Amino acid sequence: MRRLGLIGLLMIGLIWVLSSLPGLAHRGVFDSIVLDFREDLSIAQVEQQIQQLQQQYGVQAQPNSAFSASDRLYVVPGDAQLLRQLRRSDLRKQVEAIDANYTFQAFEVPNDPEYSKQWNLRNINIEPAWDETKGAGVTVAVIDTGITQVPDLKNTEFVAGYDFVNNRADANDDNGHGTHVAGTIAQSTNNGYGVAGIAYAAKLMPLKVLSALGGGTVADIAEAIRFAADHDADVINLSLGGFGDTHVLKEAIDDAHRKGVVIVAAAGNSNANAAAFPARYANVIAVAALDATGSKTPYSNFGAGVDLAAPGGVLHRDDQGQARGSGGILQETIDPESGQSQFVALQGTSMAAPHVAGVAALVKSIGIQEPQQVATVLQQSAQKVQDDPLNHFGAGRLDATAAVTLAQRENLDVKDFWRWLRNNGYLNLRFWIDGGATAFLPKLAMVLGSYLLAWFLRHYIPMGSLALGSGLVTGSAGLWFLRGFYIFDLPQFPFRILGSSIPELGGAIQGSALLHPFFASVLIPFGLIALLLGHPAWKWFAVGSSLGVAASLAISAAIDPAMLWLGSGALAQGFLLVNALLCFGLGSLAAKAAARSEA
Amino acid sequence: MITVEGRVQRSSMGMGTWALVTPDGTTYEILKGAPQELLQPDLAVRVTGIVRSDVMTMAMIGPVLDVQQFELLPP
Repeated sequence: MRRLGLIGLLMIGLIWVLSSLPGLAHRGVFDSIVLDFREDLSIAQVEQQIQQLQQQYGVQAQPNSAFSASDRLYVVPGDAQLLRQLRRSDLRKQVEAIDANYTFQAFEVPNDPEYSKQWNLRNINIEPAWDETKGAGVTVAVIDTGITQVPDLKNTEFVAGYDFVNNRADANDDNGHGTHVAGTIAQSTNNGYGVAGIAYAAKLMPLKVLSALGGGTVADIAEAIRFAADHDADVINLSLGGFGDTHVLKEAIDDAHRKGVVIVAAAGNSNANAAAFPARYANVIAVAALDATGSKTPYSNFGAGVDLAAPGGVLHRDDQGQARGSGGILQETIDPESGQSQFVALQGTSMAAPHVAGVAALVKSIGIQEPQQVATVLQQSAQKVQDDPLNHFGAGRLDATAAVTLAQRENLDVKDFWRWLRNNGYLNLRFWIDGGATAFLPKLAMVLGSYLLAWFLRHYIPMGSLALGSGLVTGSAGLWFLRGFYIFDLPQFPFRILGSSIPELGGAIQGSALLHPFFASVLIPFGLIALLLGHPAWKWFAVGSSLGVAASLAISAAIDPAMLWLGSGALAQGFLLVNALLCFGLGSLAAKAAARSEA
Repeated sequence: MITVEGRVQRSSMGMGTWALVTPDGTTYEILKGAPQELLQPDLAVRVTGIVRSDVMTMAMIGPVLDVQQFELLPP
């Protein structure tokens, strides 16, 4: 019964992953089909085929490039339906392959037409981060001049805010600053319009404390911070500052911090050797501003209190003294005179802070909750600046991808595990089919188990390393799909051996399904660790294999403890369990030793 | 209440911000709502006003000066 339950759970996981993985569920987009004609056809024959194609389907095949005629490689416009038709037609005999001409994309590059002008987003290394999260499920409160829902915020979700200047629920912007700041955090992205924002799946909470003229009182700001904390905001952005230290503001910030809110503030624009208030407070992440080259901007505050640096931009002036946009941060906002929406480049630590608030939202959406932990992730993942005697940079330059990666290491989630499987080749369709349905489920459990064991030791182990991954796979399940390979006139045993995990090796050589007590024990991992612990890379293979064998033996003990000489009863089960524990103990000792030798 | 002398300048921080820069380089942010006659680029002035520590701004260029009265100085 328990076995049935386990199998059921794994099946649910399998179906879920197949339907949710973009790589498998739908394999990309294509609007053309590539035809690779046989090399032995003459050019005239190929042309005849192309003419037939046109008569039959009304499509014109074109050579793919200037080199294609000799390769016989042609492209026809068409969809999945034409692809099926062609594969069933007589054309099949004349070609080596008929394939969908998939469009490949490196990372999530948004289709917003002005995205190319957002040097600031590339500087914080945002694109790989978007592959992991876009900030869904997180609310960012923007305490500023309000937010107007300009066209490029149309797809962005809002939650109720408040206007503390005019004391009303509607917190529209009458200045343009707040809408600009909100745009950096969550401008609607991939909407084919305007520019991009960092955490564009996050929700915005507009809180107006600065008047149309750009100033606001400490009392309103403190109340807005309390409002945000009481209404489930996860992150607060304060692109404002002053020179007065006030008890009321400090207390509001400390309360919000206690309630789990990450608070980010601009360091100030007076080129002074200290962050302004409220950035200066301990529970606030103070952000200094960088230009497009990653250097301190002439206006940014620095020194005491600065925690992190992010793009704030510098507006270049032309001969007439007019500010040019190229060096600034470009977002859509309103023209305060007319109220119309417009794309404007601004500069300031006001623009730098929302970069950090946006990445904090990404980190929170991964599952890091505590504000102190979010701050640590942001700071540890920042690009360090070696020569920084005046603390222009704090912990360094903001790096969105490094922050998200570090956040994931701290947080084991389901997505993380599937990614690991995919990176290690386990999510290849052939693998599922050729692996054989009977062997598959226990194997998956073994791989899953070995990964869990490695995760327990994640502080010592480089989780992404190829050597570790190979070790885990070799120890737990082997490249088991190879066992299904039978090639004419070749002996099968090499595939059987390659397709076996370490505990199965004894049986694989003899062609038996029984586990051999010598191989299904701590002996081989012990030997591997003794041999490889001194090697800088292979030691992780040894550690991984030990953990892998631990998982494999434990699962075998639970599901199918059939052993040579020991039978399949309690004796075999006990033997396997004791050895599984020994393997895990050995693996963790070795991991700690290996980590120490690296430190 | 303080009295400072300096030149009025437009600041490129925030939206439509005006600054008063003293000869020693100290920058004050002129609180919005000051008389229009004061807000002329490069105007030499003597300003009497209050530094508002209870006000925070988006420009953050220096202490916020709430202008009470001012007189023009020879340029």
